[in-house]
Amino acid sequence: MTNILCLKDVSVFNKRGPRLKDISLTIKQGERIALIGPSGAGKSTLLSIANGSLKADKGDVTWFDVPVRKLTQRQRTGIGTLWQDLRLVEELTVGQNVNAGALGRHNLIWSLLNLVGQVETDKCMACIKAAGLEEHLINISVKNLSGGQRQRVALARLLRQNAELLLADEPLSSLDPALSKEILLLLLSKTIKNESIIVPKTIVMTLHTPELLIYFDRFIGLKNGILVLDMSPKQLQDKHLNWLYS
Amino acid sequence: MSLHLKGKICILALISIVGVTFLGSKAQDSLIVSAIPDQNPEKLNRLYNLLTNELENKLNVPVRYVPVTNYASAVSAFRTRSLDLVWFGGLTGVQARLQRPGAKVIAQRDIDAKFHSVFIANTSTGIKPFSNQSGLKAIRGKRFTFGSQSSTSGRLMPQFFLQRAGVKVSDFSGGNAGFSGSHDATIALVQSGSYEVGALNEQVWSTRVKSGNIDLSKVQVIWRSPAYADYHWLAQPDIDNRFGKGFTTKLQRTLLNLSRKSKKQSEILDLFGANRFIKATSSQYTDIEKIGRKLGKIK
Amino acid sequence: MKLKAASGLVALLPSLALIPVLIGILKGLHIGGLPVLVNFLSSSLHPSLNATVLQSSWKGLQVTVYIAAISWLLSIFLGLILAIGSSKIIFQTIGLPNWLRLLIRMTLSFPRAIHELIWGLILLQLIGLSPWIAIIAIIIPYSSLTARVIGDQIDALDIKPLEALKVCGAKPLSALITTIIPKIIPVITSYGGYRFECALRGATLLGVFGLGGIGTELQLSFQSLKFEEMWTSLWMLAGLMFIVELLVNYFHKINIGSEQTEFNKKLRIDYLIAIITITFLCYQFISGDNYSNISWHPIQLPSRLELIQAANELDIIKLISNTLILTFLSAGIAIGTPPLWMMIWPHHSYLRIQSLIWGFFRLIPPPLSALILLLSTNPNIYVAALALGAHNMGVMGRLLKEGIEQNGNSTAIAFESLGAKPSQTWLYGCLNPNAPSYLAYSAYRTDVLIRQTAVLGLVGGTGLGWQLLESISSFNWAEIAVLIIIYAIITLTGESITDHLRIYWDSKNKLDFTS
Repeated sequence: MTNILCLKDVSVFNKRGPRLKDISLTIKQGERIALIGPSGAGKSTLLSIANGSLKADKGDVTWFDVPVRKLTQRQRTGIGTLWQDLRLVEELTVGQNVNAGALGRHNLIWSLLNLVGQVETDKCMACIKAAGLEEHLINISVKNLSGGQRQRVALARLLRQNAELLLADEPLSSLDPALSKEILLLLLSKTIKNESIIVPKTIVMTLHTPELLIYFDRFIGLKNGILVLDMSPKQLQDKHLNWLYS
Repeated sequence: MSLHLKGKICILALISIVGVTFLGSKAQDSLIVSAIPDQNPEKLNRLYNLLTNELENKLNVPVRYVPVTNYASAVSAFRTRSLDLVWFGGLTGVQARLQRPGAKVIAQRDIDAKFHSVFIANTSTGIKPFSNQSGLKAIRGKRFTFGSQSSTSGRLMPQFFLQRAGVKVSDFSGGNAGFSGSHDATIALVQSGSYEVGALNEQVWSTRVKSGNIDLSKVQVIWRSPAYADYHWLAQPDIDNRFGKGFTTKLQRTLLNLSRKSKKQSEILDLFGANRFIKATSSQYTDIEKIGRKLGKIK
Repeated sequence: MKLKAASGLVALLPSLALIPVLIGILKGLHIGGLPVLVNFLSSSLHPSLNATVLQSSWKGLQVTVYIAAISWLLSIFLGLILAIGSSKIIFQTIGLPNWLRLLIRMTLSFPRAIHELIWGLILLQLIGLSPWIAIIAIIIPYSSLTARVIGDQIDALDIKPLEALKVCGAKPLSALITTIIPKIIPVITSYGGYRFECALRGATLLGVFGLGGIGTELQLSFQSLKFEEMWTSLWMLAGLMFIVELLVNYFHKINIGSEQTEFNKKLRIDYLIAIITITFLCYQFISGDNYSNISWHPIQLPSRLELIQAANELDIIKLISNTLILTFLSAGIAIGTPPLWMMIWPHHSYLRIQSLIWGFFRLIPPPLSALILLLSTNPNIYVAALALGAHNMGVMGRLLKEGIEQNGNSTAIAFESLGAKPSQTWLYGCLNPNAPSYLAYSAYRTDVLIRQTAVLGLVGGTGLGWQLLESISSFNWAEIAVLIIIYAIITLTGESITDHLRIYWDSKNKLDFTS
């Protein structure tokens, strides 16, 4: 399998000291990685480094051998991010928000048209349905939605992006157990039937619920900014988790 | 009513305000007439077509009236050639001539060669009428108001006479004189007692007395100033080039020929408070210029 | 809770300015002007219906609308461009140096430091009599003001969604458009409507000083004390203001008021077309007028020596201190009186009467109301302060009422159920939650007031405004230049002080919402 994202000796510092220390990591196509560790361990920082929104103070991050901060707009569409705080445009409708995921493939005119009305409604609607939202919500402002619905809008926007890699920062933290399982299954494309929807094949997701770990095939543990654990489900035992969170 | 309907009705109302009546056509070079807002400016502003029609008939050029509510604006507009023929006061006329050299004095009213200001006082002040200039000393320490800042009869000349009598504006109550803005406002403010003494154009005073608008038990004239030259018509120096040779003379003749015999012309004369217009020259206003320089109104 | 109680009381505090002003005015009060005052008031019931008067007032009203509409649309447009051009987000997104932004911001603050009236009087000297003077005079400070307010809004936006879109490959410009336009459009339409009302008041005021329109009509009738004719113009102006206020309310409601409305529906294309049509009609009229041609008539600029001499001749310290006193007193009245009145008479029917009163004070240009006041009291700075304060009180009063209506009255109901008296309920339930945002806006208003002291020159008999009009009437360019520089310095200093106050109250406002 090809390596898609590589981190080499990456360190990030802030005023109080290092946030990440000499992290080296290679992500292969098709992997489903759970990023685990206590809060403050540097999980979110690692994801920001991976998608290029944060610059590493030391080390290299490459996406298909291109430094991630130097990617063209088109190449950027390959990396999709689900933010912990969702980062939706509150005033816009569900449809417009979902279409915003496709901005990287379109020009300025298209983005203006998207503001005035609906563009490519069918593609947009497919993503909305795939994310488990009701169709009629397409014309409702995001700010009028409930927490769970907004989570699904963020998901639909991601689906619209057609990304290869998904970086998800605690996408399930604010949801009840049943709902988090449902969303996770969606993300792992176990429940999407529509063929026109391209779900990222590779996933890196931060998690704290141990029950959901069974759906992943690689675990990466962070503690105090250091990569302390990288193993397969077979290797992972309760003692590892207990130690990690202690 | 629904919100959207309300909004639509409002927009429609706005459109109708904007849309009703249109001036449209671009006028060719016309003679632009104006006047400083001195006496009955609101009437002049509404009845100006009496004047413009008369001038159009006699001069065979398009004439337009443009209102100005501010003395200084009239002077500036004359300098920038926005106005061709303006009814100025003594001071503003001099200011305009200095800023637009070559401007021609066309005519003045019969009363303008020897014009007067009056000082009026609220009767509660106990100031009795006097005939000697030095009597002005009595108004030291009183609340005093002029009319407009650029008015000759309501500011410049009164201030000049006060100065000759040895009274400075800083001698007044409050350390300064007020500016009521107009002759009529001066009368109202002195009659009410807000200001104790004021100075204004004698002609406005006597007209208001005649029409019974003034309570003479509350306000009276305490002093009538010596005579000086005041209001006059001033024309741009280049109107002969624009409207044909001899146009200035023709314009002057038209104004001088306005007479009480014709009903229409009589109404025009009324607008300006004139019996008739007479010839005038710029040399009549050299004193005004000197005084203006002395009081800092002319640089 | 302690914090909140404090901000409610702070909103009432400025009303202390009423004490010296009322003492000053009552001391000089007399009944000599009563007949004129009665005449003025009773004339409101029988305005002149003479055909020439009506025609002339109607024409004046139209000209004012023309001036207001064109200058409004252009100033919003320009202001928006300037706001975007000087905002942090855009500079960062496109990657331009920050010093350039600060330079643009600083240059932009000068045009708004000078009142539109002064711009008008200066332009009159430079380009001659033309309806465009009033338009340009309004555009200069208004676009700068709009740029400031909208710029502040843009900079206060949450940039996270923008980052998110950029990371997923959107082009910087597309990402900007998608995240910022939906947030800015409601601000523009709601604030823009309010600006139109300001433009109307500005155009009217410029008329009072001779730049045409209904203001000219008002001033001419007023100068001759023809109150019946003056009321003809006033009622027409009131009608216009009423229509505009309904419109402003409407835009306010569809934008800010109803959270349910989607962004698409707020973008009312039909209204946009209607507004542009109106402006186009106005433009047609103005440019059809043969006064529209603008030519440049430069004046001789004063030399450095002349400037120094003029500065020495002017009693600058006294002029500045008088201007500041006038600003403080009028700001106190404008900011403190609305909450005070509403606290004393919080009942609904009284509130309706109060909105009528606010409307009345907004309607009459301050120079006119000052002269009316002057009829029954002795001339002093308090008259000017009351006239200026009352005019702005009209603006603040409406703002407070809107704010309270918008925030809902759940807190008030809670207090009512506790058995609190109506005025107590109002103080704790209505004023307190709204006080921070009200005070933040008051900071803006105080800036406006510093500039507005310029229009009350004649009445105060003191201060920079008075001296400026006197210098203009003497065509003393050196003095005029010195005075304008002083005005700019005072306003800009005031602006930086009120900026800090506003940021302080804004932060408190957010605190109140979250807690």
